[in-house]
Amino acid sequence: MGSCDSTAVQESPVAYFRRQVNNCFEYAGDGKAAGAKIVGIMCEYTPREIIMAAGGIPVCLCGGSREMIEPAETVLPANLCPLIKSTFGYSLLKKNPFLEMADLVVAETTCDGKKKMYELLSRERPMYILELPQKSDDADSFDRWVHELDKFRKELETRFKTDITSEKLKEAIRVMNRERKLKRELSALMKEDDPPLTGRDLLDMKSLISGMPEDMVQYEKALVALKGREPDATSGSRVRVLLTGVPLPHGAERVIDIIENNGGLVVCQENCTGLKPLLEDVENGSTDPIISIAEKYYHLPCSVMMNNTRRIDHLKELAREYRAECVIELIWQDCITYDVESGLVKKMAEEELDIPYLRIGTDYSPSDTGRIAVRVEALFETVKGR
Amino acid sequence: MLFAGIDLGSRTIKIVLIDGNGKDIVSSGAVDQGIKQSERADELFEKVLFYTGASRADVGKIVATGYGRNAISWADTTVTEITCQARGTRQGHPDARTIVDIGGQDSKVISLDKNGAVRDFVMNDRCASGTGRFIEIVAQRLERGIDEVGFMAARAVGASIISSMCAVFAESEIVGLLAAGEPPENIIAGVEKSIAKRVASMAGRKVEEPVIFTGGVALVPGMKEALAEAFESAITVAERPRLTAALGAALLAAGRSEIYAKNIK
Ligand code: SF4
Ligand code: SF4
Repeated sequence: MGSCDSTAVQESPVAYFRRQVNNCFEYAGDGKAAGAKIVGIMCEYTPREIIMAAGGIPVCLCGGSREMIEPAETVLPANLCPLIKSTFGYSLLKKNPFLEMADLVVAETTCDGKKKMYELLSRERPMYILELPQKSDDADSFDRWVHELDKFRKELETRFKTDITSEKLKEAIRVMNRERKLKRELSALMKEDDPPLTGRDLLDMKSLISGMPEDMVQYEKALVALKGREPDATSGSRVRVLLTGVPLPHGAERVIDIIENNGGLVVCQENCTGLKPLLEDVENGSTDPIISIAEKYYHLPCSVMMNNTRRIDHLKELAREYRAECVIELIWQDCITYDVESGLVKKMAEEELDIPYLRIGTDYSPSDTGRIAVRVEALFETVKGR
Repeated sequence: MLFAGIDLGSRTIKIVLIDGNGKDIVSSGAVDQGIKQSERADELFEKVLFYTGASRADVGKIVATGYGRNAISWADTTVTEITCQARGTRQGHPDARTIVDIGGQDSKVISLDKNGAVRDFVMNDRCASGTGRFIEIVAQRLERGIDEVGFMAARAVGASIISSMCAVFAESEIVGLLAAGEPPENIIAGVEKSIAKRVASMAGRKVEEPVIFTGGVALVPGMKEALAEAFESAITVAERPRLTAALGAALLAAGRSEIYAKNIK
């Protein structure tokens, strides 16, 4: 067992992405030297297109390192999700070079933990907060979101002394739609009986920076290389897993590795580091690009929304499309919104899809790796015994 | 032809040998876990075999399970303790729908579907408070043997209230109770109740009956009653509750058409 097929891939498409932090660092450094603004972001609700249209470079600041947890706990309570603590720890220790470079950090009112952490962060960093309304199917809430994005556009114009024209927005939309499309196509390779890459490979093929031109070249290269690749002999015999729940930021890939080292293959990732933000594009060509951008982002099915029925619908579709044999949900410790929703996901998996469901609640510490492995393995035994 | 199941748990190693035709236990044994796990298992295997008069060549397949299952080079394959526990329990209790297994260092609740296949399971992930370890800590604290404490609980007039969620903090709570003159019997009863509650809350909702109790802690007097109260269900202690996982492993080794036969080399 194990991810024996990653060696062959390493030489080709994934190799570039395994150096992605460095690639991004160079790109951001060059950009900054040339006068571009570095804009830190921490959530998939952040409308990258508006930042890009303002001449900004959007960089993800989500922390995946467990080394940052302890320092963060000197200020934050321990019972917060590790993603929040790690991100904050980086700021305290000034260890995230992208944050240190950032001219502005943009964040949204999502979960309580993040909001309150942002409040503290804004004392140390230049920040702008977008208010994200949370009634997902309410027209007034949506109007409010459009208004917030309009305000954001004006704020960036003043701050960065620039004009965010419709043309610039349309260009940014074009770039982001292209990036999303390429990543969707890569993800779709996992639909095959013997996918040419592992879920971990796919997870690694992402970027901290949205819209980096070299990324597009590499995504395209990867698509060509992987499509023509001989399928791995073992991938077909592995249990096909749909992984859902919280995102797995860079450095926090432990759970996907446990799954894939114990007989599973993560064929679909319904989370913010997987397919969730890629499912919908921004309509290009409408009269008001801000409204089109608002629509795409407002549809993101995160558990902070209520009601978040869209997520369940997506999950059902994805499980069928990717022929998942079981659902594994990852919940970061103390993530209340995803945890509450997990009951609904379980019910849907067991009753509507008729496949087993496993919830893994953990944080960034490796102390429970063995136990998680047993549960995952037992789940796979159940799947195979069916 | 004989088949062997070997359960390398966190505290003890158990081996069950069954007869491939009748699927009856022909020999079994248990030994405490040592540093040299593989050697201890080896010795135990020889011993268990010796009683039957058979040799290693008579053993068709060996399935290893438990935490240390990968440490045994001479096993033919490994299966998790969850699947083995389910298989072993079903042998004596074919209608089992829920298995509560409390061992020395972990506990789990396994739910089975009508056909006896594992439907779902929960395990304690990072805490000793719902496991046999808690009883050990208290026994040490009271300077009593582990066998003795269960019988003491039977003599309790009431159960002390132990509110700490963590076995380590509970220890200091117990020191306080003792200082306040609380009878040790009541404290043990309180600990049993607290373990039962932890396991029940881990299981979440109401579990389906019949509920079968396995693992070493099932042998501790008073635990069954404490569990019955916490689960609000009738509880049946499995036959030979410490051996169910090893038995399951042996049955899986024997049964080619069984649940996990596909993976047996
Ligand atoms: S899970 Fe929700 S809060 Fe977290 S990044 Fe995604 S959209 Fe934002
Ligand atoms: S994982 Fe949950 S608690 Fe953590 S930031 Fe995302 S929504 Fe908030």
